[in-house]
Amino acid sequence: MMGRPWLSLWKALAFIILVAANAHAGSTIKVGVAGPLTGDQATLGQELKNGAIIAAEEWNAKGGLFGQQIEIVWGDDQHDPKQAVAVANKFVNEGVVGVIGHFNSSCSIPASTIYRDGKVVQLTPASTNPLFTERGLWNVFRVCGRDDQQGSVAANFILRKLKKRKVAVLHDKTTYGQGLADETVKALEQGKIKPVYHGGITQGEKDYRPVLTAIRQSDPEVLFYGGIYPEAIMLTKQMRELGMKTIFISGDGVWAKEFTGIAGKAAEGAFITFTPDQTKIKEAQGVIKRHKEKFGAEVGAYTVYSYVAATLLFEAIAATRSTDSVAIAEHIRKTKWKTALGPIQFDKKGDVLVSPYVVWEVRGGKFVEIQ
Amino acid sequence: MLLQQLVNGLTLGSVYALIALGYTMVYGIIELINFAHGEIYMLGAYMGIVTFTLLTTLHLTSPDSGVALLCMMLAAILFCGAYGVTIERLAYRPLRTAPRLSPLISALGVSIFLQNFVMLAQGPRDKGFPELFIQGGIDLPGGRISAIQLFIMATSVLMMFALHLLVRRTKIGKAMRATAQDKQMASLVGIDINQVISVTFLIGSALAAVAGVMIGMYYGLINFYIGYIAGIKAFTAAVLGGIGSIPGAMLGGILLGLIESLGAGYISSEYKDVFAFAILILVLIFRPTGLLGADTSKRA
Repeated sequence: MMGRPWLSLWKALAFIILVAANAHAGSTIKVGVAGPLTGDQATLGQELKNGAIIAAEEWNAKGGLFGQQIEIVWGDDQHDPKQAVAVANKFVNEGVVGVIGHFNSSCSIPASTIYRDGKVVQLTPASTNPLFTERGLWNVFRVCGRDDQQGSVAANFILRKLKKRKVAVLHDKTTYGQGLADETVKALEQGKIKPVYHGGITQGEKDYRPVLTAIRQSDPEVLFYGGIYPEAIMLTKQMRELGMKTIFISGDGVWAKEFTGIAGKAAEGAFITFTPDQTKIKEAQGVIKRHKEKFGAEVGAYTVYSYVAATLLFEAIAATRSTDSVAIAEHIRKTKWKTALGPIQFDKKGDVLVSPYVVWEVRGGKFVEIQ
Repeated sequence: MLLQQLVNGLTLGSVYALIALGYTMVYGIIELINFAHGEIYMLGAYMGIVTFTLLTTLHLTSPDSGVALLCMMLAAILFCGAYGVTIERLAYRPLRTAPRLSPLISALGVSIFLQNFVMLAQGPRDKGFPELFIQGGIDLPGGRISAIQLFIMATSVLMMFALHLLVRRTKIGKAMRATAQDKQMASLVGIDINQVISVTFLIGSALAAVAGVMIGMYYGLINFYIGYIAGIKAFTAAVLGGIGSIPGAMLGGILLGLIESLGAGYISSEYKDVFAFAILILVLIFRPTGLLGADTSKRA
């Protein structure tokens, strides 16, 4: 390469021509879907993917958007903020109209400013950190609830329902996990409770015995964990192995079949804050049925959310008959939507007006809604 | 608390020690840091699951029998041993006379290849390890030793003792020591160097395979990426004990496990890895030969 600079120049030129040609090959409307498609959170990415696929197939079967087919572009952020930024730039360069994603707040938040600058509407089905919508961006929406709501539900449940006073709080140091843990601590402190332990762990590790041993010293009745299911599996298993009887409570990031499946007996009796049972929503029956037919599995925690986010985007594009992101965002904001999750309306920031969180319990290896 | 952290640390440390032995033995003989060694351990863990699935779907053994575990261990040892020897043949032997950087780069290449190979073959998701028959534990004042922790420590000690006997008391062990001392001289007195190197890779890989199966049982979850961090940690353990020294690798592994556990328990769990690598840096600055390492300045 060193002695033949003209060769690399020629290659670069060829590349530019290819990319330019690609950008003009637009007889489709491109929509980005981003999340952790591979790695330890691949299950969650898969949920996002499936919901979006079903929505796009429905619309394409109806003839697409003003005569053009919808093309989904995938972005794998591996729940890494740096990857998320790379994915966001890729999407902007490919000229996507809107993005369904990302999954993790730590990815959605840095990506959102890139989407804003690139004039792309972003609807997250699952990022619950308040900061996502609190920064006043015009292009962001979230279909799910917020961690301040979720945290207060968890804290109230501990104080009023379980009537426990000694709470240890642990999180995975991510935007989502730490945010959720902090909101829960805030709500606990309003109930005059200070956590007996408050600390972080590193995502992706497999051995949490040292930190659990330290937590055991303070003899908590409850362990609240802000984080995602792979670490929750390890924590519950190793907690029981160390002979701890502590009640395990966590948030929506742990609502995954892997948690009950792999943690087995250790997960029994754990409480998870999550939205009400989607299988009981009558509007959701259609998408749940199609998911079962197409993928041969039950919907995950955020499959329907992803489906709704994608559907809203397509409807807004169809209604405005344009790919102008400002007009699309405006339309999403002012419309009263009827969705698979029931009626939805957005506030100025892009949050849903009503987001009920309830508590689920693991009973007999399954999640059961209890209040 | 202290007792519990010591137990946690010793368990982790004995696994590090098993992996570190492979690094140290290979380095002792061909002066190569085999960066693909962590992946061998990862393959061992996967082989454990594959074997278990085979056994249970064919109804050859009941899932909670000792026989299943024994088969998993043996299959992993054979499989990883073959892998280790093959990697040496294909990726290192042709480069034996090349500048020292070449086989190192080759080792990194093998490591990346194996990670991606397993990711594609087995999927990127975490795999749950079967709950084997080793359940329960012993409650002690201020701590609890689970049966699996005892099993890991006992197995590691047994493996290390067997290795010690092999190196000290057998003919091939003598040949290994001779090769480590002086390759040229050893081949002049009739030792088949290639065979000795192959055996070294075989033994190192077998130890890593056992470590892989045990860590799978201990954590309950594995993925294609576990070899990377474990490999780096075990390498740190080998350097801490003195790279090239077999008792050094054992000591380094145990010490590193203890440092990590105690650091996580008493100072901060978030800085667990920082302690391990701070130790590595300190050792390299103040005692580059490690705790039990021989002074290699004469050879260089």
